[in-house]
Amino acid sequence: MGYALIISEVRRGVFEERNLDAIGIANLAGKDAYLLIPEGNYNINGNMVDKIIKVKTEESMFLNPLIITGLITKIMDSSASPEMVIFTHSSSGIEMASYLAGKMGLPIITDISGYEKNGDIFFKSYYSDKVFGQFKKTKESPLILTVRSGSFKDFATDKGKQAEETTVEGLSGIEERSFIEYVEEEKTGVDITKAEFLLSLGRGVGNKDEIPKFEELAQLLKATISGSRPVVDKQWLPKERQVGTSGKTVKPKVYLAMGISGAFQHIAGMKDSECIIAVNKDPEAPIFQYAHYGIVGDANKIRDKLKDIIQGG
Amino acid sequence: MDILVFVKRVAATQEEELRIIDDGKNIDLSKIPFKMNDWDNYAVEEAVKIVEDKGGSVTAISIGSGESDEVLRRAIAMGSKDGILIESNETIHDPALRALAIYNFIKKENMQFDAIFTGVQSEDDQFAATGGFLAGKMGLSYASMVIGIDAIENGYFVLRRELEGGLQERIKIKTPCVLSIQSGINEPRYVSIMGIRKASKVERKIMKFNDYAGSGDAVIDLIRWSYPEKKGGATMLTGEVDAQCKELLEILKNKGVY
Ligand SMILES: Cc1cc2nc3c(=O)[nH]c(=O)nc-3n(C[C@H](O)[C@H](O)[C@H](O)COP(=O)(O)OP(=O)(O)OC[C@H]3O[C@@H](n4cnc5c(N)ncnc54)[C@H](O)[C@@H]3O)c2cc1C
Ligand SMILES: Nc1ncnc2c1ncn2[C@@H]1O[C@H](COP(=O)(O)O)[C@@H](O)[C@H]1O
Repeated sequence: MGYALIISEVRRGVFEERNLDAIGIANLAGKDAYLLIPEGNYNINGNMVDKIIKVKTEESMFLNPLIITGLITKIMDSSASPEMVIFTHSSSGIEMASYLAGKMGLPIITDISGYEKNGDIFFKSYYSDKVFGQFKKTKESPLILTVRSGSFKDFATDKGKQAEETTVEGLSGIEERSFIEYVEEEKTGVDITKAEFLLSLGRGVGNKDEIPKFEELAQLLKATISGSRPVVDKQWLPKERQVGTSGKTVKPKVYLAMGISGAFQHIAGMKDSECIIAVNKDPEAPIFQYAHYGIVGDANKIRDKLKDIIQGG
Repeated sequence: MDILVFVKRVAATQEEELRIIDDGKNIDLSKIPFKMNDWDNYAVEEAVKIVEDKGGSVTAISIGSGESDEVLRRAIAMGSKDGILIESNETIHDPALRALAIYNFIKKENMQFDAIFTGVQSEDDQFAATGGFLAGKMGLSYASMVIGIDAIENGYFVLRRELEGGLQERIKIKTPCVLSIQSGINEPRYVSIMGIRKASKVERKIMKFNDYAGSGDAVIDLIRWSYPEKKGGATMLTGEVDAQCKELLEILKNKGVY
């Protein structure tokens, strides 16, 4: 049995939960799990992996695809090369994985959310989850993967014994790409994570002129407005209103999503809401798979009707 | 600054039904509208803005069928100097193959550049891998999820890249480099039909994918398509809009939020 090298994600002292998905797929595929992590006081359940490889370096080095690729290349060129190198399908995971694949000319499959052991088949999303492509590698070589967070964490189980630990030499900075600082989003008035009732708008509402009409509805319902990424990208709503992996994670009592398709980066930010209601004109929209209640219809018509009913008493 | 921007024509499936056909071998895109990949729209805008400010040129390049000419025309209408189509009538699913062809093309045609821009991801395959693979293969510096370019100094970009939950990192990266541009970095300019018509007059080059395919072997293979697993799904509110809305308000009352 070979092993999978897992590149962990750590942020400002925290071992991110999404690492469990990488550990989970290694288990599912029947590989030993070797965790690569910068040295530090991270809170890890050492029973979940077979080996922990600590690197004498700072956290920011794990954000640099050039440096990490250099380190992984060394490990891969050694006598005991991994059969898989696994990253999270996150901002830095994607960046490192693709760079490593290009540098070493290795097969890469990204955004994996399913696995079939029989045939070694990986499922990846296409068209924001409308369909899935089933992939296999076609040449005998290590495989590079990025895994979707939330997909495999249940398979990250306690192995009943503490992982072996080793420490490897440090990494030093390079001129080609260097870290300057973390930049925090500006804190402003609204905090959508505190709201009990979110009225969340997606690209499907059509254009900027529709937004004030939703704000009127939100006022009538005493709901707070939030939105998907495209709505924020287009500046229909300010950044602090964005729900999702690159926005906020919310958990309101009710999440009323209008004109949102349900891409995983959005779902990841709202799936734990107590009650999800989706309005979408496409009956096949992936968001209906996560919603408790759904309406197939035009968000703008539903909005106007809701306003009529409420104002009509 | 000379910038090569990679633009892809993708199916806009958000409001369409996607059907798997031929026993799982294909998906039927025959009735689906196409457009420029959203992320590439931001990448072109960013490149054009830089060139407007610092001088130089933007060249838009697309791999795809003859119809991909429409995204090249759009990129030209936005301010690219010219467009190159690397023609392939087959969809190339493996991002490694696409990146290798781009690599071979750049070498063989001796393309000059200070930076290569791609989008963060294609809307159709969502691999988010072509830019990084290309950078690794070329041995160039790389950054993805680029959400702001703060400064262009001699031989460097100072830029911000998005991490998660509103957190960003600021980095300094040496040119020549490959940058994958994140949506929201700018406001892509409006392109009029007139603009596209004018762009049609700019000559576009057409190259053959096979001339750059190298060995042409994919290292991963798409063996079949499948629909997502149904997860139970929602209780659907049916009937007339009026009835649906009343039921919706009832649910909100029951949940105690209205
Ligand atoms: C690194 C990275 C980070 C990301 N982070 C985030 C994030 O934090 N948050 C986020 O949301 N996304 C994020 N995304 C983007 C994500 O992948 C999707 O592109 C995005 O969530 C889609 O938003 P949407 O559902 O509003 O738009 P679309 O996917 O375009 O969906 C629009 C929906 O509206 C429906 N519709 C159209 N017209 C109507 C109508 N009249 N009435 C009702 N319904 C209608 C359509 O059927 C469709 O389902 C990220 C992507 C990347 C690569
Ligand atoms: N067929 C293509 N033609 C031109 N550019 C492409 C093509 N495929 C991918 N790209 C570029 O690579 C980026 C990432 O694509 P992907 O790796 O498919 O998610 C896109 O945003 C484009 O800039």
